[in-house]
Amino acid sequence: MLIDRSHRPWVAFTLGALVVGGTAYVLYSSFSVGGPRGGSPLGLVYGSLGSAFMLFAGLLGARKKLLLWRVGRASSWMRGHLWLGLLSFPFILFHSAFSFGAGTLTRTLMVLFIVVFVSGIFGAVLQHFMPRTLTERVPMETIYDQIDRVRLQLVDEADTLVKELRSTLAGDLSGASEKQRATAASAGTRGGLTYASGLGASERGEKAVADFFQNEIRPFLLQKRGPERAIADAGQASAFFNQLRVLVRRDLWPKLEDLESICEEKRQLDRQRRMHDVLHGWLLVHIPVSYALLLLGAVHAVYALRY
Amino acid sequence: MLGGCVLPGTSVIVMEKISTATQVIEAPLLPITIDGRELLVPAGTTIFDAARTYGIAIPTLCHQQNENPVGVCRVCVVDIGQRVYAASCVRQVEAGMKVATSREDVRGVRRTLLELLIADHPSPCARQQSTGDCELERLASQAGLMHSRFAPRPAPQGKDESLPAIAVDFGACILCDRCIRGCNDIRHNFVLARRGKGYQAGIAFDDNLPMGESSCVSCGECMVSCPTGALTNRKVIATDLGEGEILAVKELRALEVFADVSGTFLKLNSNAIRKRIFKAGEIICRQGDYGSTAYYIVSGTAEVFLSSRMGHVTTKDDKHGLFRKLQSSLVNRAQQPRADETNRPYIPIDAPVDLPYENPVAELEAGDLFGEMTCMNQYPRSATVRAKTDCVMLEMLRNVLDVLQRNKTFRSKVDKAYRKRALASQLRSIPMFSSVTPDFIAYLRDRVELRRYVPGQIICRQGDPSHSFFLVRIGFVKVTQSHPGGDLVLGYVGRGGFFGELSLLGEGIRTATCTALDHVEAMRIGSEEFRAMLERFPEVHKGLVEIARQRIQENRTRVSSVENVPVDSFLAQGLMEAQSLLILDLERCTRCDQCVRACAEAHDGVSRLIRDGLRWDKYLVATSCRHCKDPLCMVGCPVGAIRRRNSLEIVIEDWCIGCGLCANNCPYGNINMHPFKVSIEDPAAPGRQVAQVQTKATACNLCPDQEEPSCVYACPHDAAHRVNPRDFFSDLVRVADLPTGRASAD
Repeated sequence: MLIDRSHRPWVAFTLGALVVGGTAYVLYSSFSVGGPRGGSPLGLVYGSLGSAFMLFAGLLGARKKLLLWRVGRASSWMRGHLWLGLLSFPFILFHSAFSFGAGTLTRTLMVLFIVVFVSGIFGAVLQHFMPRTLTERVPMETIYDQIDRVRLQLVDEADTLVKELRSTLAGDLSGASEKQRATAASAGTRGGLTYASGLGASERGEKAVADFFQNEIRPFLLQKRGPERAIADAGQASAFFNQLRVLVRRDLWPKLEDLESICEEKRQLDRQRRMHDVLHGWLLVHIPVSYALLLLGAVHAVYALRY
Repeated sequence: MLGGCVLPGTSVIVMEKISTATQVIEAPLLPITIDGRELLVPAGTTIFDAARTYGIAIPTLCHQQNENPVGVCRVCVVDIGQRVYAASCVRQVEAGMKVATSREDVRGVRRTLLELLIADHPSPCARQQSTGDCELERLASQAGLMHSRFAPRPAPQGKDESLPAIAVDFGACILCDRCIRGCNDIRHNFVLARRGKGYQAGIAFDDNLPMGESSCVSCGECMVSCPTGALTNRKVIATDLGEGEILAVKELRALEVFADVSGTFLKLNSNAIRKRIFKAGEIICRQGDYGSTAYYIVSGTAEVFLSSRMGHVTTKDDKHGLFRKLQSSLVNRAQQPRADETNRPYIPIDAPVDLPYENPVAELEAGDLFGEMTCMNQYPRSATVRAKTDCVMLEMLRNVLDVLQRNKTFRSKVDKAYRKRALASQLRSIPMFSSVTPDFIAYLRDRVELRRYVPGQIICRQGDPSHSFFLVRIGFVKVTQSHPGGDLVLGYVGRGGFFGELSLLGEGIRTATCTALDHVEAMRIGSEEFRAMLERFPEVHKGLVEIARQRIQENRTRVSSVENVPVDSFLAQGLMEAQSLLILDLERCTRCDQCVRACAEAHDGVSRLIRDGLRWDKYLVATSCRHCKDPLCMVGCPVGAIRRRNSLEIVIEDWCIGCGLCANNCPYGNINMHPFKVSIEDPAAPGRQVAQVQTKATACNLCPDQEEPSCVYACPHDAAHRVNPRDFFSDLVRVADLPTGRASAD
């Protein structure tokens, strides 16, 4: 989520709560006889508030499942998740008096909490910056789940394009474009030129296109993941295509440009896949650890209050 | 029989074949010697025929018995003891002539000729590959020619596969003219001729057009006459007609529509046609099914009807509060008329009749052809057809259908049937002709002309003088207008649509380019008839003028908007014209797809939103059906149930049959198929109601009844917004002071 001016009320609330909570903690730790403890009344208040904030943050998952419930916009819940989740960390620290505790459970809880907190901060930073980067660097972006489908469509497009290009270079009327057919049809009236004059033959160019396509472009387009090919680099790809332009007639350059554009789209899809994996990968840590934290936090609460 | 027992100087009655006519003539017998054999042959006989009569074979390529000899290939040369060798196919016998047909020197000359011909022959050619009977390759092989000493011609001649039934490989053509003589002398079609000189010489169809665009009637005579693989039969491969009886050529030729087609050609295509017998009540084809065949009714009557529920998808918010959920249902245009409702009285289908909206059932009778669009253009079946009485039908693949459609007899029948049955309903479906009188239809009936166009063929070009008005009978026509920024697709005109009226009413100059998108048949009304019609029927004139005025105004507004809006692309123009838009701020959006899930949740599990589409600056216009420069969704609807409003918004008509073609065609996935459980009459058992899941096409309308669409409400990152495009983009442009032309299409 982009942290912008719309977050001001939440920032104010968070800072206010932090100042109030922090001041109370300073006073409490200065004047309490045995030092600050989680089991003390104020310690329990900090613990309860921290847990409540954590619980609210955890409820975002439930809110996301109940998509049509009119219980507040999901974006409001997300803001609450961010800021209350952030606030829960100092409150739990106040509750634990900045200690990891003596028992295994409390130590585990604190480790999990740090993991959740750090991964959450990391995620928030990613979600703040990465969408912009993704938008800028992947203008041909598609839906993540559709990447493989689009990739195969690109293969089909490239196949068709190269077939057209090759048949044009080979002087084959059946694969010619409408314009070429029109040129062909009118050729008989222009100085004895035949329909084939609009197509012309270039064996060398046709072979070069065929080889480059089969050995470089097609394997690159078919490649889901794996070792980088030379054409995966925009600079090298451009150099390849420039070499090809030397061998192909100028009027066929637009087709080469289309082919180049297909390769560029594939590069962008690869980039999108990598960036998307980063943008959402952190959730693989954040979500399960959060659930574990909530579960163990409940166990800790019951255990501490009862015993 | 001729024989050696007839004395010299006597005469006999002989049969001489001249061209296609057989004449009985009386001719004296002349003594000649061929390869040492003394023979008597009637005067006027060619050496080739004389030799053949006595069992002496002389090889030839350009000559065959049913055509006039022309002696162009010179392979049949023989030595007659004169200064040069003579072409035996054209040289007539003379008394005392001594002919050598197979002496070594004669064979050497023939061998050189074959070597020259084979030099640029694409060996093995298509004929040799498929049937192994390329005459040139056979002769070359007999002469022991494995390769030629001569270089092939520098530029390949190319191929022409524009006709479904016949493939042309110009490279395999040896310029023997057999096809030209077959087309002109035997069939009298006059489509084929020679063109060019020297290396550029070749055969040409009409004015050197691709064969499919020429006036070729697909009789197949050229193909069966061709000695090489230059003209070969294109079989429809990987299609098995399965059921039905294979018809003998004799049976086929007994039918009036196949009478003019070459028997050999029909035999070659016997796999592509079947005789089918349907009992009364049997389903012949079902709406929405994909197929590759058309049906010709030989005898009997069939019923054609739509079996889907009439109605369009509407979404209601029938619960309130926490557990709010939207409910989709089907309503027809009487229950819920929409803005720009056309109230079209007839539904266009892939048959010679249209179906009335109120009761979509019609009858097909003997001589009718249906399923042409499915067969030629691979569109889904537009309606269900059931045999009303016992029927005999011919089911055919596209190569045979093409032969039929090009056949003059059949075309005249189709033309007649269309004028008689569909012209009236088609005209009445056009608002300005909705009140036409029978008098008017009768007037028009004799003044229309049925024309065919192949895919990609330009029917009329923007800026050209206008000569005609068109009514589309089959296929789709793409209407584009050129602007400085590029071409703008104004729309696709399908069956029942019309074009060309604007220019005829205006300055007589075409205002747009119309191109056949697939196999198109259109009724053409010439400008003179059109004007005479307007003079005779002032009410139609008035209606047309009103429509033309509206269209001109719309075009002007569109063009001026394109020029005046801050961003100069049509994308921006499309955005500005929309009523409301869903936009996603890509700098906020984490691509979590919560919006898509919410949309699906709100619409019975069918999402109408896909997070993809056009980009404008940092915004993604997610539901953008009204932004397409080229609305591909409108192409191919078998019943013409999808159209655009003047605001360019997509409207799905009540008679959508749920085939899903529009959804497949939409590149942005903005059209979705919504399933509904309905109770309908079982097509296979009339009178019995059956529960069925039927689908209807639907597009996102941004939940206009809701305070906030579910997708916006469910977005956790505040990235989705429903906006008024005019306010939103105007503000944006003013605030950011964006340069013009910043819009880009994704």
